[in-house]
Amino acid sequence: MAPGEKIKAKIKKNLPVRGPQAPTIKELMRWYCLKTNTHGCRRIVVSRGRLRRLLWILPSLPSFFLLFIICSLIFYTFFCVLGLSRQQLHLFLPSTDSRRIRGQGYSAVKPLLADLEQETRAALKTLYGFSEIESRKRREAEPGSSAWEGPQPKFLHLIPLMVFNEGETSKATDFLTGQKRKVSGSIIHKAADVMHVQESKEVVGFQLCSNGTSQCAVYTFSSGVNAIQEWYKLHYMNIMAQVPLEKKINMSYSAEELLVTCFFDGVSCDARNFTLFHHPMYGNCYTFNDKENEIHSTSMGGSEYGLQVILYINEEEYNPFLVSSTGAKVIVHRQDEYPFIEDVGTEIETAMATSIGMHLTESFKLGEPYSQCTEDGSDVPIENIYNAAYSLQICLHSCFQTKMVERCGCAQYSQPLPPAANYCNYQQHPNWMYCYYELHQAFVQEKLGCQSVCREACSFKEWTLTTSLAQWPSVVSEKWLLRVLTWDQGQQIKKKLNKTDLAKLLIFYKDLNQRSIMESPANSVEMLLSNFGGQLGLWMSCSIVCIIEIIEVFFIDSLSIIARQQWQRAKKWWSQRQALACPEAPSSLQGQDNPVLDIDDDLPTFTSALRLPPAPEAQVPGTPPPRYNTLRLERAFSNQLTDTQVPAES
Amino acid sequence: SPPRYSKVKHLLKDLDQLMEAVLERIVAPEQPLSNATRTLNFTLWNHTPLVLIDERNPHHPVVLDLFADNHNVSASGSPAPGRACNAQQCKVAMRLCCRNGTVCTFRKFISATQAVTEWYTLQATNIFSQVPTQELVKMGYSGEQLILACLFGAEPCSYSGARVHLGQVIHPPLRFVHLWSLGLPAAASAPPPTGLKLILDLGQEDYVPFLTSTAGARLLLHEQRSYPFVKEEGIYAMSGTETSIGVLVDKLERKGKPYSQCTVNGSDVPIRNLYSDYNTTLYYQCEACIRSCFQDHMIQNCSCGHYLYPLPRGQKFCNNQEFPDWVYCYSQLRQSLGQRETCIRMCKESCNDTQYKMTISMADWPSEASEDWIFHVLSQERDQSTNITLSRKGIVKLNIYFQEFNYRTIEESAANNIVWLLSNLGGQFGFWMGGSVLCLIEFAEIVIDFLWITVIRLVAFCKSLRQRRAQARYAGPPPTVAELVEAHTNFAFQPDTANPGAYPDEQTLPIPGTPPPNYDSLRLQPLDVIESDSEGDAI
Repeated sequence: MAPGEKIKAKIKKNLPVRGPQAPTIKELMRWYCLKTNTHGCRRIVVSRGRLRRLLWILPSLPSFFLLFIICSLIFYTFFCVLGLSRQQLHLFLPSTDSRRIRGQGYSAVKPLLADLEQETRAALKTLYGFSEIESRKRREAEPGSSAWEGPQPKFLHLIPLMVFNEGETSKATDFLTGQKRKVSGSIIHKAADVMHVQESKEVVGFQLCSNGTSQCAVYTFSSGVNAIQEWYKLHYMNIMAQVPLEKKINMSYSAEELLVTCFFDGVSCDARNFTLFHHPMYGNCYTFNDKENEIHSTSMGGSEYGLQVILYINEEEYNPFLVSSTGAKVIVHRQDEYPFIEDVGTEIETAMATSIGMHLTESFKLGEPYSQCTEDGSDVPIENIYNAAYSLQICLHSCFQTKMVERCGCAQYSQPLPPAANYCNYQQHPNWMYCYYELHQAFVQEKLGCQSVCREACSFKEWTLTTSLAQWPSVVSEKWLLRVLTWDQGQQIKKKLNKTDLAKLLIFYKDLNQRSIMESPANSVEMLLSNFGGQLGLWMSCSIVCIIEIIEVFFIDSLSIIARQQWQRAKKWWSQRQALACPEAPSSLQGQDNPVLDIDDDLPTFTSALRLPPAPEAQVPGTPPPRYNTLRLERAFSNQLTDTQVPAES
Repeated sequence: SPPRYSKVKHLLKDLDQLMEAVLERIVAPEQPLSNATRTLNFTLWNHTPLVLIDERNPHHPVVLDLFADNHNVSASGSPAPGRACNAQQCKVAMRLCCRNGTVCTFRKFISATQAVTEWYTLQATNIFSQVPTQELVKMGYSGEQLILACLFGAEPCSYSGARVHLGQVIHPPLRFVHLWSLGLPAAASAPPPTGLKLILDLGQEDYVPFLTSTAGARLLLHEQRSYPFVKEEGIYAMSGTETSIGVLVDKLERKGKPYSQCTVNGSDVPIRNLYSDYNTTLYYQCEACIRSCFQDHMIQNCSCGHYLYPLPRGQKFCNNQEFPDWVYCYSQLRQSLGQRETCIRMCKESCNDTQYKMTISMADWPSEASEDWIFHVLSQERDQSTNITLSRKGIVKLNIYFQEFNYRTIEESAANNIVWLLSNLGGQFGFWMGGSVLCLIEFAEIVIDFLWITVIRLVAFCKSLRQRRAQARYAGPPPTVAELVEAHTNFAFQPDTANPGAYPDEQTLPIPGTPPPNYDSLRLQPLDVIESDSEGDAI
């Protein structure tokens, strides 16, 4: 015999076909389905009746596909890393607003504010009794600065500044007329109560009345400084609201004036790299790396690869009542974010080098089912009046402004205009101040509902800043540096630069590591299912098929059996009654000579459940078959089944 | 702190004079050149001069030499070059030439301040690079001179204290870096020290005026074995103040290979760490790698090493005499993004990082009341003089302390591991199909069986095909044995034709015997038992 044949025989002997004797595919499949541990297949094969088989196929096949889908999902997420992510390549230097803390360029606005300033100074004089503020050069040039007798004061008429005695708040001294007068209306303290230690301290405040009704509110402040600044600000907003934007921009400083030198990543930059952004109270602000401009990015960390600018800050141009500190303010923010310069920002001191090292942290929150955050604000019912990406602050401000327009009929000056609204001023809206203060009070006390409507954003970037200061310019280099810088500024300012007019600013990434904080759900759906399946499998060796089986057996089948039994009982009882009624009638054909025919003892097959007439094969031979109990034990289960199944099916 | 001006003055003398003259020419071009200007040493100037570019006519920018008397730029032809030219119209630029001045480019600056500073730094680099390192070290401050007082916890510390290791690293010499490696308290034993208190002498009057314009100490917290990049990452401490720095330590640990491209000790980075001479043999820093990479490129392209970065063995620092083209080459390299990208790509991040979060606060120091005695004592200690030799501008007090005595570790962890994966898969499989690994094996077996059966059937099919073909060759039934035998001898032999009709009974009759009992009725009774057993829905 050839060796090939030998090997073949050996293989045949050692590796027999595992199916039942008949080596056909169909037989094999049947054998598999009956023998396998996955219940579904077996159910399909074993169950009798087409409908029942179909019912088993229905859950089995989808669960098979689901298994595949979820397993592939698990594989897909397998190679994710939780924790730190680090990007080494280009990090954009985020937009940087460098701006001066100042109102408009003071000398330019002066004609507009001259009256107001006169009155303020007069008020100071009467209130605190000093005649002249330590005046600077420019003020001396101004004629008749102390001409109080001149025009009729209109601002103090509108909103009188008053001095209150602490004890008796209902009486106030109007310092304009010097008369004591009775003040009605609620008094709102803008000061903490602890502040007043002295008994007979006088407090300063102002009264706001609405013209239509006789309602008045008095605002008092613990310090005259706050009172006067607040009072001045109200009037300032009034006046500026009537000035068109173009004019205001021109009044403020240009980027060429503000920036003396600029250096980014070792390359010179100039005013063209800065985008103008006009803030109602702060005047012109300039943004580096704005989205409209060409975006500069650096691929290195460290101070020499960041932004280095020298700012020119002219102290004399500061409005003395509006802003009382000197310097600039810097905000680092996202390109599409609106900079809230009045709330956040780092102050830059003059005659100093300020170095700001940054670290970027990105945070992502999970959305809807997990927390109440919003992706882009489109699902928040408040219209975004800022031309910027959504943030909680923007939402709150927008909400307030919208409410302001609704209630007072005009918009507040320090925030952008909603569509079809005007800024408040005296001429058109004489009541607006009272309205504004009332509304603001309500807003702070969360009565407007803004706080509950606005939701936080899901993703935000944070810059952790490390700010340090050093003296600049140093004693030895001061002389030459100021000379060259003066030449650099050239025509913009026709004066010699002073140390205190300049501030140096360095902004850089400490390293180009980015930290991302990401929320991830503790349990996902597939995790839940697999946990569930694991537990079921471990304790009960059970699967979804098992559950369906349980439902089928314990709920549907057993109920139907009980129902059937009841029905039988009822029928019996009925027939007994019938028998009692007519005893000569034969009781029942069934069940006496041939109990096997009784359908109810049989399995609940489809036909029996629907009470259909029994199939023709169910006709039973006259004699009860012998109960070959022993047969069942000796024979193989599969053989017997196949034997019995085939006729049952047909 | 920068080098002491009084010590390096003789080196920078020419340059400073030149600088003064340049400033004079830029700011006040109307004045005629003074006699002092003519006596200047112009060798430095001629190498990389500063020029004014007149852009009043944007199509024909005119290049004006600052010292037009000495070097007539004939192209301009205007009698008074810088006159009536201000910063908006004239830009200061640096002329960079190579190949003996045949190929020239202008590096334009928008502000004259920057141009002048850059120019001075380049020239100073050139000068310092020709001085041996040991001499330069002497020109800077030593640790003893710099630290006026030092206190670590409650114990005094000296320059090389026992508990605080104060070391001095002097390289690159232009910066004359002094730094302190502050030992992290290994375990909080005994009463924890309250931190490091230092009083530093900044000596602001002794700064090189054109080199640095910022006065203050620069300090950096770093790992003990790492190289400090003070200029890049350090923070300022202002003179005349007491600066308190609260430190929080974050350690970052990254997962290595399959998840991210980080390196533990830099051995798999193709760039040799040039900083490894400074106690950083084992510690990998990405910044050090990038700088080493730059120096490598510098040596490849310009054949000399830049002065600010450490020098590989056998190479030389760039200077004007030996490498006249180096400035041009350096600025080209510095501007090229490709070079930087290459370096960043080659240098991997480090797997272990330490980040220091600092809370900086400042107060005026010394206070007016205490000013007098503090200055007296410090002056006495420093100069042995009874007069006050220090001023508020020259000293700074530093408090460095740890806000917490433990540090936070941020570690990466894999979102999934293999155990998790298996249990998940098992759960899914069990849940949806009631299966297990056995099922999978079973399934595999079935597949094998399937193939096996297919093979067998194929073989059978082929065999039958071949047989049929063989049969097809002889039409009719195969010859019987008798026929074959007789074919040779008896030509008239006629085989029996198969006649099925001849023995119809014998053909169709089955083998005699009793037929098996046709237990048809059997089927019904055991069926009940078996079915109830297998299906389980009979009660």
